[in-house]
Amino acid sequence: MSSASMSHSTHSGSQLLFSGYDPGAFYDEMVAPNGLPRPGSAPMYDMLANMPLEVFEERRKLADLSYLVQGITFTVYSDGRGTERLFPFDLVPRIIPRSEWDVIERGLAQRVTALNLYLQDIYGPQRILKDKIVPRNLVYSCKHFRREMVGLSVPRDIYVHIAGIDLVRDSRTGQYLVLEDNARSPSGISYVLENRLVMRRTFPQAFEVCEVMPVDHYPTELAQILRSLSPRSGDRPVIVLLTPGLYNSAYFEHCFLAQEMGIELVEGRDLVVVDDVVYMKTIHGLTRVDVIYRRVDDDFLDPLAFRADSLVGVPGLMNAYRAGNIAMANAVGTGVADDKAIYAYVPAFIKYYMGEDPILQNVDTYLCSDDKQLSYVLDNLKDLVVKAVGESGGYGMLMGPSSDKKTIEDFRERLKADPRNYIAQPVIPLSRCPSFDPSTENLSGRHVDLRPYCLYDGENVTIVPGGLTRVALQKGSLVVNSSQGGGSKDTWVLRGDE
Amino acid sequence: MMLSRIADSLFWIGRYMERADNTARILDVNYHMLLEQPPDTYKLRWDPLITVTGERARFYQKYDEALASSAFDFLGYSEDNPNSIAQCIIRARENARTIRDRISRELWEDINGLYHKINKLRDEGEDLARFCDAVKRGGHRFHGVCDATLPRDEGWHFLQAGCVLERAEMTARILDVHYHQLLEGSEILNEARSHAWMAVLKSVAAYEFYKRQYTQIEPEKVAELLLLDARHPRSVRFNLGILQNSLYAISGSVPGTYANEAERLTGRTHEQLTYDSIGEIFSGGLHNYLEELQVTCRTIGNQITETYLYYAVSA
Repeated sequence: MSSASMSHSTHSGSQLLFSGYDPGAFYDEMVAPNGLPRPGSAPMYDMLANMPLEVFEERRKLADLSYLVQGITFTVYSDGRGTERLFPFDLVPRIIPRSEWDVIERGLAQRVTALNLYLQDIYGPQRILKDKIVPRNLVYSCKHFRREMVGLSVPRDIYVHIAGIDLVRDSRTGQYLVLEDNARSPSGISYVLENRLVMRRTFPQAFEVCEVMPVDHYPTELAQILRSLSPRSGDRPVIVLLTPGLYNSAYFEHCFLAQEMGIELVEGRDLVVVDDVVYMKTIHGLTRVDVIYRRVDDDFLDPLAFRADSLVGVPGLMNAYRAGNIAMANAVGTGVADDKAIYAYVPAFIKYYMGEDPILQNVDTYLCSDDKQLSYVLDNLKDLVVKAVGESGGYGMLMGPSSDKKTIEDFRERLKADPRNYIAQPVIPLSRCPSFDPSTENLSGRHVDLRPYCLYDGENVTIVPGGLTRVALQKGSLVVNSSQGGGSKDTWVLRGDE
Repeated sequence: MMLSRIADSLFWIGRYMERADNTARILDVNYHMLLEQPPDTYKLRWDPLITVTGERARFYQKYDEALASSAFDFLGYSEDNPNSIAQCIIRARENARTIRDRISRELWEDINGLYHKINKLRDEGEDLARFCDAVKRGGHRFHGVCDATLPRDEGWHFLQAGCVLERAEMTARILDVHYHQLLEGSEILNEARSHAWMAVLKSVAAYEFYKRQYTQIEPEKVAELLLLDARHPRSVRFNLGILQNSLYAISGSVPGTYANEAERLTGRTHEQLTYDSIGEIFSGGLHNYLEELQVTCRTIGNQITETYLYYAVSA
């Protein structure tokens, strides 16, 4: 770290962003171990390497301003009044060569297809349970398994229309691994689109020399899938995006997507079910709704069917769904596919349903519901990451190596009390990407993950090239969640490899 | 196609912004009038103000006396007063935030900016006059941004309806409370009385307009202007006229007819204000007349809500 007494003026004109850059012991997404840029990254690397700090700082301010003016913020309520903060954006893109992306794309398509086949099976004939590939009690004990869905057919047999699959690159092998499946209502796509917009404004020249694949067709693709689900014939189905409302942390994204797709943004109180048909309340009476892109969890969808205390849901919605009068994306009950214990069986599903070997591997996972595995986990807590199976967003998690004794002992008790609720994984040394550190005013390696967004129309999986790269901006941190000081980067998939 | 909830938010953005603006006006004018008055008449001037806002009971729960400081605290910022200026702006902003995909970016940024400005003034302990000035300016800018950036669709008419309904009711209430107090306070000097009426006119930006038409400050004339004038944008008649047009635009009714209770009441009241004379109103009792006007305004608001915003759905 540079000395604090060094004044800004001594930097001017001489300080370079990559000076002293050390890819370290980790896989670096931009710089090869020999210190030279990786092939596809060379033009961007050169541009940054020659850019005076002042110019970089100016663009950084420009980018931040653009997020602030557009109000792309999340709200922190700790001070009682609600303070809006920016989700930090790092200007150095994460670059993925085409051949690498092709593998990811095929791997994700395979995985999303398998998740759908599994859901059709679980809520249908349950062959996979009869053949004992997945233990029956593991599925039935999932917090998000919905008995109400058994035997119910969903439009076009699609359960997961939208999936966000979290990938990490293991520094030891350089291979991408699947860390988590998000098959309920993954968020973050608005950042992918906004980050690109800001990057195009901030570094237009870079797009002239790097051939970056576009991402802004996502809302069009999603709208197309939503339209195809309509239970009524006619070419203008009424589609709505159901949001829990203003206080949801993803509210900005809900507004953004509704606006981009030209559909109505509704809250539960805007909808009403009459004779198993869903309507929205307009100033001139009721208008029938055909498709709901819902960003409300299963539990809160319908107070008559699920949690009775839900204020954001629509009473009677499940009856309309059962009657086939409304389509929902994602379907109800998809949480039985992204449960973190079920995750361990996804490679087995792929084999079972598709007769293929998984293209993307899982991270080794210990199921605490199994006694032998539990005792291994309890003996090695300080070296493992422990996760609650039904949670997401970094909640209910123990990072063994960086936790104090008390936290570890607390977790030990929780594990013993409810083993089914936990899984454990070894700590993966995530790959890093050069990122700006304002305290040292240069670039340093910071750990990243990648969440691509997959759309499934019943036949094909469409993935906008790239996805959301989250970066742990704190030095040494492996936690990329925004609540833990994480930020994001634009993700560039190149048309070629160089 | 417009969701009822969105129309509701627009209606209330209009109401809250107008309420904040009116409250700042009466606070400001009163404060300035006080500066030149003998101290023993202060009660006349701060107590009615609390009554105008309809939060008398709440005020005396919190403060012993109506003074400039307590009135400013209560009407300006207090979280205990749901109609304080800060609370109105917070709620207008919240409504705007909920429907930001449906309003112009300029409008969102304007309301958001006013909210941040008010917070800053509070944190800096800014004085009453500057605070009120910022709110009034904010109100003018709000109308300007709406006018220049919003399409004249149904949403526009709900926003308008909220503004003019609130303004009509506020004008009636300001007149009512001051008239009441000025009649009762017989010990008050004629000079003070005349200053109080001037303050009323100034609080609704009608002083200059009044002076051009009438030479003396007389209660009947003040009431005539604020109730019956067809040209002044703060008179009750003027505002109900705009409300009528907006309601027609929403329902598609033609003039001379009505499609719902809100339209019937608005039309009837507007006709009354057009054809009643101030002499008739005074002989029937101004207070009764004003009270009835305020009740009607509230009923119109409820009827708009019932007709368009929260109507019952029968299963």
